[in-house]
Amino acid sequence: MDTRFNKSQKQKSVIFSVLLFAFLFNINFVSAQDGEKLFKQNCAVCHSVGKNKVVGPGLEGVTSRVPSEEWMAKWIKNNSAVIKSGDAYAKKILAENNGMQMTVFASLSDADIKALIAYIKNPPVVVAPVAQTGAGQEEAEKVINPLAIILGVVALLIILISILRGLTFSLKNVQNEKHGLPLERKQGAWTELKAWMGAHKRSVALIVIFALGGFLSAAWDGLMGIGVYQGYKPSQPIAFSHKIHAGDNAINCQYCHSGVERSKTAGIPSVNVCMNCHKGISKGPITGTKEIAKIYAAAGWDPDKGAYTKPQQPIIWTKVHNLPDFVFFSHQQHVKVGKQQCATCHGDLTTMTIAQQFTPMTMGWCINCHRTTEVPGMKDNPYYESLHKKLSEKYKGQPITVDKMGGIECAKCHY
Amino acid sequence: MKKITNIIAVIAVLGSVSIAVTSCGKHDPNSPGVEYMPDMYRSPSFETNSFSLIAHTDGTFDTIETNRLPVAGTIARGFLPYPYSNDTTGYANAGKYLHDPLPVTEANVNEGEALFGKYCVHCHGTTGQGDGKVAGKLPGPPPSYTGPVLMALPEGKMFHTITYGKNLMGSHASQLSKDERWKVIMYIHKLQYPNGMPVAAVADSTASKKEIKGKAKGKKG
Repeated sequence: MDTRFNKSQKQKSVIFSVLLFAFLFNINFVSAQDGEKLFKQNCAVCHSVGKNKVVGPGLEGVTSRVPSEEWMAKWIKNNSAVIKSGDAYAKKILAENNGMQMTVFASLSDADIKALIAYIKNPPVVVAPVAQTGAGQEEAEKVINPLAIILGVVALLIILISILRGLTFSLKNVQNEKHGLPLERKQGAWTELKAWMGAHKRSVALIVIFALGGFLSAAWDGLMGIGVYQGYKPSQPIAFSHKIHAGDNAINCQYCHSGVERSKTAGIPSVNVCMNCHKGISKGPITGTKEIAKIYAAAGWDPDKGAYTKPQQPIIWTKVHNLPDFVFFSHQQHVKVGKQQCATCHGDLTTMTIAQQFTPMTMGWCINCHRTTEVPGMKDNPYYESLHKKLSEKYKGQPITVDKMGGIECAKCHY
Repeated sequence: MKKITNIIAVIAVLGSVSIAVTSCGKHDPNSPGVEYMPDMYRSPSFETNSFSLIAHTDGTFDTIETNRLPVAGTIARGFLPYPYSNDTTGYANAGKYLHDPLPVTEANVNEGEALFGKYCVHCHGTTGQGDGKVAGKLPGPPPSYTGPVLMALPEGKMFHTITYGKNLMGSHASQLSKDERWKVIMYIHKLQYPNGMPVAAVADSTASKKEIKGKAKGKKG
């Protein structure tokens, strides 16, 4: 760790100086009265040029609201000083925004401010992009059950056989009538089948054996699937896409599931975490404003007023991963101490639009991993380090895996 | 003979029933499948992120969410009140009086770097220039750490901002503990002053701290 720090420091300082230089140069360049660029860099975080309030008020028609353009220039440069001077309009704005003060922009030159005001007065007309039609969510693929196919084929065969049987029977009787022979009595299907089975004992035995084998293996597979949720992919109250958040935007898993290193559960983020970004992002690439509006409804956020004024309500997410209550599992243990990656158990969420259970999460699956995962020593903890040493002496030459330190004892997880 | 046919019939019936029970619904993504003894899977005791059944004496049941707000007035273990209010005065006072209680050590800065990578980088960018992937989708990017406004920001104001949020940035108090917030600030200082904090800046924002050995080069942000 120490060496890496020192080595990278020099490198970083070089990179940094280059960046700093580029940045300073950039500022000089921007001073060429590029109102739009200045606005985006300094103001757009809080103000829109339209009517809606982001953090501060929307700036449409602002020049006709404020006392004068000179006043506005003073306000942009140092609003604190304007407030201190006891200006009546400044006080009014401050009260309208719950006493929240604007950032002081002492570094902006007079020319910059002039360019800014010119831009705010005549912002470019934004052509609203045509809303994407059609639900972006992928349609659930229709999977036809193979059992249904087999049953269908069997039913078809039975119908076909009975039709053919009826046909041969009536044809025979037509023949008999022609030749003046006595008519055959129609026999029941069951008696005929019994007669056929009596005559073909071997084939019947074979069929029965195959059918039984098929049934038993299918039944075994079915029974083994009880309680295994692999592939469970429930639809959620909000069409949240892990692909967009964790994949395209590369937001770390822990940003939202921040309990993973300090709690048994990784946690479902509360709405305030969603709002950390969605306060400023009200439109998604696939569903537009439809789904994000549900977050606003849950948080009680009024996007027009830019305030939490509406009643709040919880979002009732559907839990995807559910370990039975009789087994203990802790995320903290596995992620913080065991240094396991999220994807080991949950799969690559950066490609999943809808989250699903990726691994079987059965006991056999747990134990397999405990048998193969090696445990390195713990340098910063003398107790575990000595324990590790003792174990290495006990299992000479063998890798120290989780199961060697009691990781497959029943009471480790079931108590 | 009859016995054998009976056994065969029973097995066949059982087999088809179990197939019918288990294979149907397996392909419905909204169904988890069949549970063996659901009362052991979903116990009446409270589990995180779920619903629990509450049995009443008259034999009726209610479901309640297990994620609930703590009782009003609850104080978490180890909780210390934060004396600066979420307004302009609180912000100014935090800048004046609030200082990092942790020593600036390599371990702390490294931890701050890891936390920065998880909680800050997608908006503020890897070097703090406000060029993270999410920043491009916000109405405006966050200000650069090395810009004139943030270079002049005392650490107390940084802490105040992470705690309560400021402008478009929301509160990160639910994700970062107080110590973690200070560690992140240490790493931000490292991004701002890669050669160590100059003495003037140290005196300005961290008053009595002696742990930082800034190599002042007369370069001020």
